[in-house]
Amino acid sequence: MDLAFKDFQRHPGKFAATTVGVGLLIAIVLTMNGIYRGNIHDGVWLIDHTDCDLWVVERGRGGPFNEPSRIPQETWKRIAAVPGVLRASPYIVYTVQRELGGRSQQFTVVGYDLFGGLGGPGQLEAGRALESPRFEMVADRKLGLAVGDLVRLAVHDFTVVGVTRGAVDSGGNPLVYLSLPDAQEVLYQEDNRALELKRSASLRALEAASLPSTDTERLLPLLDSGAVTVSAVLARVEPGADLAEVQRHVTRWLYLDSYTTEQERDLMLRGRLLRMSAILGLFRALLLVVSIVVISLLVYILTMEKIRSIATLKLIGAPNRIIVRLILEQSLFLTVASFVAGYALISVTQERFPRTLVLLSSDTGTTFLVLLAGGIVASLAGIVHSLRTPPSVALGG
Amino acid sequence: MTEALRVSGLSKVYGEGALAVHALADVDLSVAAGELVALLGPSGSGKSTLLFCISLILEPTAGKIAMFGEPIHGGGRTVVDVRRFRRENIGFVFQHQNLIPFLSARDNVAIVLELAGGRARAARHRALDLLEELGVGHRAHDLPANLSGGEQQRVAIARALANSPRLVLADEPTAALDTERGQVAMEMLRRISRERGAAVVTVTHDERMISGFDSVYRLHDGRLRSGA
Ligand SMILES: Nc1ncnc2c1ncn2[C@@H]1O[C@H](COP(=O)(O)OP(=O)(O)OP(=O)(O)O)[C@@H](O)[C@H]1O
Ligand SMILES: [Mg+2]
Repeated sequence: MDLAFKDFQRHPGKFAATTVGVGLLIAIVLTMNGIYRGNIHDGVWLIDHTDCDLWVVERGRGGPFNEPSRIPQETWKRIAAVPGVLRASPYIVYTVQRELGGRSQQFTVVGYDLFGGLGGPGQLEAGRALESPRFEMVADRKLGLAVGDLVRLAVHDFTVVGVTRGAVDSGGNPLVYLSLPDAQEVLYQEDNRALELKRSASLRALEAASLPSTDTERLLPLLDSGAVTVSAVLARVEPGADLAEVQRHVTRWLYLDSYTTEQERDLMLRGRLLRMSAILGLFRALLLVVSIVVISLLVYILTMEKIRSIATLKLIGAPNRIIVRLILEQSLFLTVASFVAGYALISVTQERFPRTLVLLSSDTGTTFLVLLAGGIVASLAGIVHSLRTPPSVALGG
Repeated sequence: MTEALRVSGLSKVYGEGALAVHALADVDLSVAAGELVALLGPSGSGKSTLLFCISLILEPTAGKIAMFGEPIHGGGRTVVDVRRFRRENIGFVFQHQNLIPFLSARDNVAIVLELAGGRARAARHRALDLLEELGVGHRAHDLPANLSGGEQQRVAIARALANSPRLVLADEPTAALDTERGQVAMEMLRRISRERGAAVVTVTHDERMISGFDSVYRLHDGRLRSGA
């Protein structure tokens, strides 16, 4: 006779409620695992999915993701000329909050050189990559756009020609890929009023330098034009070329800094992601501890509830084996059933979760084992208590 | 006749010092196999305590217990595997029914048979037969909580008799039963002593129930006296 099962059978509601309750808690633990991994996954996604060997940025800057970097667009030609470099192309990346597809959304614009350039979108879920140098866009599906949509961005209408899936910046914001000139225009676009203000500011500066008005007229357009800048230059090196050598050259002769993909990743993990990872990791650990405590308490209560029955079992001569089995079985069943419930819940809701959840089977497995171990340790406490209980406990009226 | 139970010089003291209660004082008792024994006495006289000591639930403070020629307890030491011994030799009907609340009436009886090594199916059948015999067959699938006190008591009797014990101890088995059902229960105990040769020791308040008993003992303040 399986006593644990008989007990469950007698109180199906109680056990279902317990399982669902603990299951919810476990679902939260698993979600936290997913958020923790998702945070790192998103954090380095763009770095991992940009097809280049080197990121060349402004001198002394940990860019282009951890801090803004601005370098003249033409720099790419000088990088391309560095010995060992196969190809180089300008790249711009920035985050905006704009009206898109009828609602205000935060997203990151990636602008790249369409023609032989690096840094474009990788795999598309639908449509094609950018082909025309103007007014085309590849957007991530998270933005709610579909191929063929016409969306207004800054002062132009863009046609969505391709849709990516899971293309995000380090904060989890969806990406929009534009051609370099479009991306620059969206970033630097100013309305007439802003231009006027800027112009009068420049004029005042020139007048303050007490230049003759004939000269100010001539100098003003030059001041306003401003150099066109990009965030970085992406470079691919020749097969067999020494990356470190190329980096040294860039630093010494071009007075710029560069990062390999590995270094850029490192920068991200030690920079922007570090604090978030620490916080998420802490929550993850705390939640796990809370779940273990809850499961332990439940198992213990389950045992205490039955202490009289256990004493009675002793009275009718049941060996300890039977009592240990009753407690262990209930504990294992509770843990496993709750875990299954939690896992099922998270599997169903994963897609709708607002942030990327990365559920690693190793994480899930470890969590399961830790919870199981907690349940068993808790049952040990219950078992010790049960075995110490004298059978006469069952005799009280 | 072979001796089923021998108790000599048995004492039991609950608590210590000023709070000590001398529940049993120097009790001697001998019960033969197949003997039907009644134990009478006022409330608090130590009847339950004596049965608990005999059934190895309580450790006596002093004295010796032997069953079926085997020493069980002597020199302050229990010398057998208590639970195994109890499982194989003793059936106990408690004063307050101690049924396992999450098992049906049938399972409460069947578990004793399974613990003794019986197969699950056979155990269930035998349990049903026993319940039927005691007139609670129709409640076999109910939980103890849904049974009346008398029905619970009969299930408890069925449980005590399930593995054909050589010694049956019953602590007021008829307390919760009406006279007629009480007689039926007593008849069961009588039969088990006559037909199976089991020694039966029954505590009762009810003097009417003791007709046909082989011997009657009275407990008074922990001291045992023979005679009706
Ligand atoms: N666990 C205990 N601790 C202390 N004293 C106890 C304990 N159990 C019983 N006693 C005392 O021992 C004495 C004998 O108790 P016992 O239960 O054996 O009496 P009884 O004859 O069965 O009474 P009743 O007819 O009411 O069931 C009583 O004075 C009782 O108060
Ligand atoms: Mg009593």
